Amino acid sequence: MEEGDVKVIFGPSGSGKSTLLRCINMLNPPDKGEVYLRGQNIKGDGVNLNQIRSRIGMVFQHFNLFSHLTAINNVSIGLRRVKGFPKEEARNKALNVLKSVKMEKWADHYPAQLSGGQQQRVGIARALAMEPDVILFDEPTSALDPELIGEVLQVMLDIAKSGTTMVVVTHEMGFARAVASEMIFLGNGIILERGTPQHFFTSPKSDRAKTFLKQLQMLYGSHEQLLKISDKEE
Amino acid sequence: MIFQGQPNLFEEIITVLGFWDRLLSGFIITMWLYMWALIIGFFLGLMLALFRQYGGMILSRIATVYIEIMRGTPLLVQLLFFYFLPLSLNLPVGVWNFQASFTLFDKEITIILLNQRTLVAILTLGLNSAAYQAEYFRGSLLSVGSEQLMTAQSIGMPRIAGIRLIVLPQALRRVIPAWSNEAAYLPKYTVVVYFIGVLDLFAQAYIIAFVTFSVIITYIIVAMIFLIVISLVSKGLDILYERTKIPGL
Repeated sequence: MEEGDVKVIFGPSGSGKSTLLRCINMLNPPDKGEVYLRGQNIKGDGVNLNQIRSRIGMVFQHFNLFSHLTAINNVSIGLRRVKGFPKEEARNKALNVLKSVKMEKWADHYPAQLSGGQQQRVGIARALAMEPDVILFDEPTSALDPELIGEVLQVMLDIAKSGTTMVVVTHEMGFARAVASEMIFLGNGIILERGTPQHFFTSPKSDRAKTFLKQLQMLYGSHEQLLKISDKEE
Repeated sequence: MIFQGQPNLFEEIITVLGFWDRLLSGFIITMWLYMWALIIGFFLGLMLALFRQYGGMILSRIATVYIEIMRGTPLLVQLLFFYFLPLSLNLPVGVWNFQASFTLFDKEITIILLNQRTLVAILTLGLNSAAYQAEYFRGSLLSVGSEQLMTAQSIGMPRIAGIRLIVLPQALRRVIPAWSNEAAYLPKYTVVVYFIGVLDLFAQAYIIAFVTFSVIITYIIVAMIFLIVISLVSKGLDILYERTKIPGL
């Protein structure tokens, strides 16, 4: 993966999408294979895994905000406790990041007082604040009500456009089409097909991918429509 | 007294309350035991729960065995065991006292805060309560869930820091309603110390009942004292729960 790449991973449930993401930051240590971050094997001996994880952001399907902390403290706790920022500095930085996801008004609210979309934007801000080399998104919109998906996708589009390196597990094909540098179709734990969005939306090779995309279409409408939605959001 | 007929109820109450100095010193001892047992049980229980939940194979086994033994055997047996163990091992058990005296309404009240027996009582109650408290804590650690800790680790927090900063603040808030059970049970458990001769409220009540023959009245008064204390503790914990509640939850 290169700097600034946005890879979209999709595939049927149980195909290993989330597991793959968790292998990348060693929350699920992989059985086989290696992960290199800027040339460093993160499975190697003597690697400080916590330091590595602080450079790999993660956004979760169910947001996983720390429920006893306000939005701003969710964002600043990593800065303070992992990066060792002084309190004031962490707070200022956290507020700036919250601004970038348009959540500064809600800075002092607790997660339970926020909507799903707002929670997820705080979740994204929490990952962004650490200034990671790459951010992993694990189905960031699939637990959201349809009308809340747009605000989260918008934030993700902004981040992608700003040149952030992202690995995104999602079935939002509009998003994939707009920003993915490569799409990867997983099934049963292996890569079934990979290619550009252009490739997948015009001439997917494998039958499995064809069927899957068709099903997504049936569920969410054609990708042309989705693209329009994402264009509008841009 | 013995040959007196039915004494009148009011007189009986007055007679029993005439022993207020005994009731007071017994009450102080009971509260003293309760306080220490609760504190020891809290910290040891929390440690046991953390070991059991996060301690890995060896520590979690040790914690589990400890909890099962303490919960599975009678408190009275534990108390007598710890009381007689040093004696049967011929360990030197010194006669020592740490006591407080004060005069109130012309009555001199002496309270033995710490001696061999009281120490055994405090430790046994604390060690026993820890096993029960540990399970309350474990339940609330489980209810916080592993996702929160995993998320903390995903931003680069070491596991221990994640437990301390993310899991514990949530678990300790959540545990209050369940934990209030232990806080309400424990004062009543303390009465077993009577069997090793600690002069707690129950022991004093026995003496008062023996002297006055007003058995029912004495124990009703003792029961009322427990009822009031436990109600206050429950109310206090309710307030604590409301005050520390996470907004929106």
